[in-house]
Amino acid sequence: MFNKVLIANRGEIALRILRACRTMGVGAVVAYSEADRDSLAAQLADEAICIGPADARRSYLSAPAVISSAIVTGCDAIHPGYGFLSEDEGFAEVVRAHGLTFIGPPPEVLNRFASKEATRRLFEAHGLRTIPGSQMLRDEAHALEEADRIGYPVMIKPAAGGGGKGMRLVRSARELESSLKVSRSEAKAGFGDDSLYLEKYLEETRHVEVQVAVDRHGNAIHLGERDCSVQRRHQKLIEETPSPALSTTARQELCQKAVKAVSKAGYESLGTLEFLVDGKGDAYFIEINCRIQVEHTVTEMVTGLDMVTMQIAIAAGDRLPIRQSDVVPRGHAIQFRILAEDPSTDFRPQAGEILGYLTPGGPGVRMDSHLYPGYEVPSFYDSLLGKLCVWAPDRASAIARGDAALRELLVDGLDTNIELHRAILANQIFVDGKMTTNLLDRVGSAPFVAAGSR
Amino acid sequence: MPQQPATRASASGATARLDARTGRDHKAISALADDLLPALVAKLAASGLGEIEIREGAWKARLRKPTGTGRSAARTGAEPYHAPRPAALEHARAEDSRPRREPAEAEAEDAPIMATSPAVGVFQPRKGLEAGMQVRAGERLGTVDVLGVREEVVSPIDGIIGTSLAESGEPVEYGQGLIVIEIPEKSGRVEAGQAEQEAAAVLGEA
Repeated sequence: MFNKVLIANRGEIALRILRACRTMGVGAVVAYSEADRDSLAAQLADEAICIGPADARRSYLSAPAVISSAIVTGCDAIHPGYGFLSEDEGFAEVVRAHGLTFIGPPPEVLNRFASKEATRRLFEAHGLRTIPGSQMLRDEAHALEEADRIGYPVMIKPAAGGGGKGMRLVRSARELESSLKVSRSEAKAGFGDDSLYLEKYLEETRHVEVQVAVDRHGNAIHLGERDCSVQRRHQKLIEETPSPALSTTARQELCQKAVKAVSKAGYESLGTLEFLVDGKGDAYFIEINCRIQVEHTVTEMVTGLDMVTMQIAIAAGDRLPIRQSDVVPRGHAIQFRILAEDPSTDFRPQAGEILGYLTPGGPGVRMDSHLYPGYEVPSFYDSLLGKLCVWAPDRASAIARGDAALRELLVDGLDTNIELHRAILANQIFVDGKMTTNLLDRVGSAPFVAAGSR
Repeated sequence: MPQQPATRASASGATARLDARTGRDHKAISALADDLLPALVAKLAASGLGEIEIREGAWKARLRKPTGTGRSAARTGAEPYHAPRPAALEHARAEDSRPRREPAEAEAEDAPIMATSPAVGVFQPRKGLEAGMQVRAGERLGTVDVLGVREEVVSPIDGIIGTSLAESGEPVEYGQGLIVIEIPEKSGRVEAGQAEQEAAAVLGEA
């Protein structure tokens, strides 16, 4: 096991990793930027080190700053959290070159899964259904030919990167012709790589993902699935497990296929395989996330496992502490991402001082947050204030607990999306378990809030 | 903060004066916040000054450059480290639940001017650098080694080398104070008046 871990992240996940290190008896150093000097993780840590200015490019995204701080504080491993450097294979490689361990997949594994398109083909070869798509597009004629074969509507996608950049939905050959150039230049500007491919666009889909854990000794398990269909502009808002989109047999089948595929493809570490599920219940693999995810909490709630300690143990070369038969999910869990965004002003991110902060309690309630009264939310980073998680024996009770907890949660000083969450819980489509990824954007968030506060 | 005039007068004139004053205050505050502060922050960052204070009507704003004093020092090695009592916990325990502000003002008065570390790494002072030597603003005083790349430590002002805050070969963090730079004053101390003059000069350029 490691002697000391450098936590190269901020906010709630820095706190989560610090907690994992403490329960394992592993030392931890919190790396923080100047803007995060007063952050809860930096204050609670036994050791903390300022690695750079507020600008993430010179702190949390700077490989030299992060690695140098690990070395001067005597750490032997770096936990990148999510975002920032968490899936950067170049960073993972430099970390190893300096004799440290990257907590995540080894660099060569990250490298194998770096291209979405190549990953898609790899998993297809190992038995996962993928969305009908094209090879890398050579030119316009090739693109038109491939689109005809797949059938419109199609999505133009960059091979590198994510976050919707360079992605374009086209419904005809004419739209395809006019959009290719824009997508290519956006991809070039965003990721330094203008390779594009086409993918069939599925109209009404749910986002379902399977959590896997693979050690380097050939053991692989899945920890069930999560449903992240409640999204706003491709950003997840509410996540739950089990997914209301799948029957028990469909769930079993999907999870088993996923774990078999990652095992055969030579994956290692925690990982998440994302699928789109269509109206018929067919699941199409879209991508793999090689990091701990924001929504890992719901899986922890139903399985009773600590996934961050598991991730650290795998990176240290340990065997998985459990077998598949030990994973027995129980009940239903829902997570609400509490964001400093005001739904009434088009979700503008907010920054400023937290004047009052009160977290909910009661059975099955968990709050992962770095807030405290008097804390200044800096304007330099993302708008995640915390994650409220509820667990109950069944989905209906979990929704009821979720609403009660959201009513109790007080974040004073900033505008938040708490009311939007309550409105979604009150919406019949959500209650029926039939949310699709485009619903919130199609209906608009304001009508949801208006309908919820009637 | 200006004291609101205590008045029992119910005459409309007094109320109007009060309103006018409140209006002036609001104007002063927004002028400070919107117009002056961003420019000042940029000026402060670019200048060698440690602190700038300005006045607008009855209101004043004071900016202080973050320094590497206190708990920002890299904590490594065998030296037992005691966690500072988190402000978060102070709040949780405090009888008064109002947000507590850092005692920055008191601290700021005598905060020394320092050459700070540009990065996380290992500090190496320039050969032959000694207390009492005269240095110019921007002069190289040493380096911080970041994975084999040397980043320069420079003097923020014209002055005299004072106390060394970090040893040669010591691991340092970003922004940590490394060498105190003294101002060559007869008394050796910066007078408040002089600081204000400098701030005014900076303001004038803006």
